[in-house]
Amino acid sequence: MLDFHGWMLPMQYEGILAEHAHCRRAACVFDTCHMGRFHISGPDAAAALAAVCTQDAAALPVGRCRYGFLLNDRGGILDDTILIRLGRQEFLLVVNAAPARSDLQWLQSHLTGDVRLVNRTASWGKLDLQGPASFAVLKGLVEGDLAGLTYFSAAAMPCCGVERIVSRTGYTGELGYEIMLPTEAVGELFERIVSHEAVKPAGLGARDLLRLEMCYPLYGQDMCEDANPLEADMGRFVDLGRDFIGAEALRAAAGVERKLVAFRTESRRKAASGQEITVNDSPVGAVTSAAFSPSLGVSIGMGYVRADLAAPGAELTIRHPRGPLPAAVAARPLYKKGTCRTRNLS
Amino acid sequence: MNAPKDLLYTDQHEWIRIEGAVGTVGITDYAQEALGDITYAELPTVGKQLAKGAEAGAVESCKAASSIYSPVSGKVTDLNAALEADPALLNREPYSGGWMFKIELSSPDEAAELMDAAAYTEFCQKEAH
Repeated sequence: MLDFHGWMLPMQYEGILAEHAHCRRAACVFDTCHMGRFHISGPDAAAALAAVCTQDAAALPVGRCRYGFLLNDRGGILDDTILIRLGRQEFLLVVNAAPARSDLQWLQSHLTGDVRLVNRTASWGKLDLQGPASFAVLKGLVEGDLAGLTYFSAAAMPCCGVERIVSRTGYTGELGYEIMLPTEAVGELFERIVSHEAVKPAGLGARDLLRLEMCYPLYGQDMCEDANPLEADMGRFVDLGRDFIGAEALRAAAGVERKLVAFRTESRRKAASGQEITVNDSPVGAVTSAAFSPSLGVSIGMGYVRADLAAPGAELTIRHPRGPLPAAVAARPLYKKGTCRTRNLS
Repeated sequence: MNAPKDLLYTDQHEWIRIEGAVGTVGITDYAQEALGDITYAELPTVGKQLAKGAEAGAVESCKAASSIYSPVSGKVTDLNAALEADPALLNREPYSGGWMFKIELSSPDEAAELMDAAAYTEFCQKEAH
């Protein structure tokens, strides 16, 4: 067990590699109750969120989810979030555990108008079921049109009289769902999911490996308040034609000097967060995440490098205490066989 | 944890099996359990002279990285090449298929400074608390 920002979370159950392989092949369930959940409602909810989040809440159709950021007025990333539109005047914002408290204060002080903000982090829990078998597992456990739930959609799908919100989202690259429900019902759902023959429980270790193979940045590690979404190479999630906190600073920034890239090595030896990245012995950046990738059979990672070195193929050398580790910038995602966009489920 | 009686142990969790003038070295069951899934093993080169306690290589797991120290002084005579493609041998068979290197002892008396299985087991129990 691991103390993760005040939440006791399992690093692993059976083993990180076994859980990783099972998630890619069948399905794993992750306890993600530690992530923050804020319920935002009211006549002005859409307009107020649109002014605070990079996601355009007003243009988001009911039943859709969108990835984006909370930014400070300098454009620095306060958190990365998923915004779910539950109804015309009702939203759910899912945030990371570490900044959840400061996110809440930020929202309280910046959401304006007739808006109600409720912190559901303690009263509601969240389980992530991820893997190619997750549809087959979950369809027996919910009432509603699970097959009709497309990638980045969400719907209320009660079961046995218990309210549940199911979104087809995740952090592994595989077909999967995040299920939010009242805390007192989480334990029973976890047991029911894990009792399915296709499912194993998985911990933070496997989750970190799965997300890194997909090059999903981790807040607090690959992104922080000192980086903006353009530096994090997340510009596609930010519409600078719109006004929200941080937009003006991003418009004023003429390009970026550094960029977050994915890299792969030709070795099993892994880099470590904080290690310097060099080209011709000159420092050009630093590693932010690194691991041995079981799917690729080599070590991989992410890090910030000088913006002119961000194109796939650029050759880098990581300063490793056990000798230089050659690496190359690689196209994202590093793992290309993820099933998250699978269509025509039945 | 498992600590075979015919081996000697270090306080850095390496084991050595001494047969005549040559020792075979690996990491213990306790060490592999603590490291978790091992993904990479770095071995010394054949012919390298190692002093007792000198760094001989390293292992990396999903959770950690750890240096490997030579239990005795001597010259490296052989390596377990199978670990390159399958470092998980260190997890599965720490005392057999997961051996790391062989070393020709230059000071056989040093063996007396290592722990036997009973002393090592007690050492691990203390470390775990």
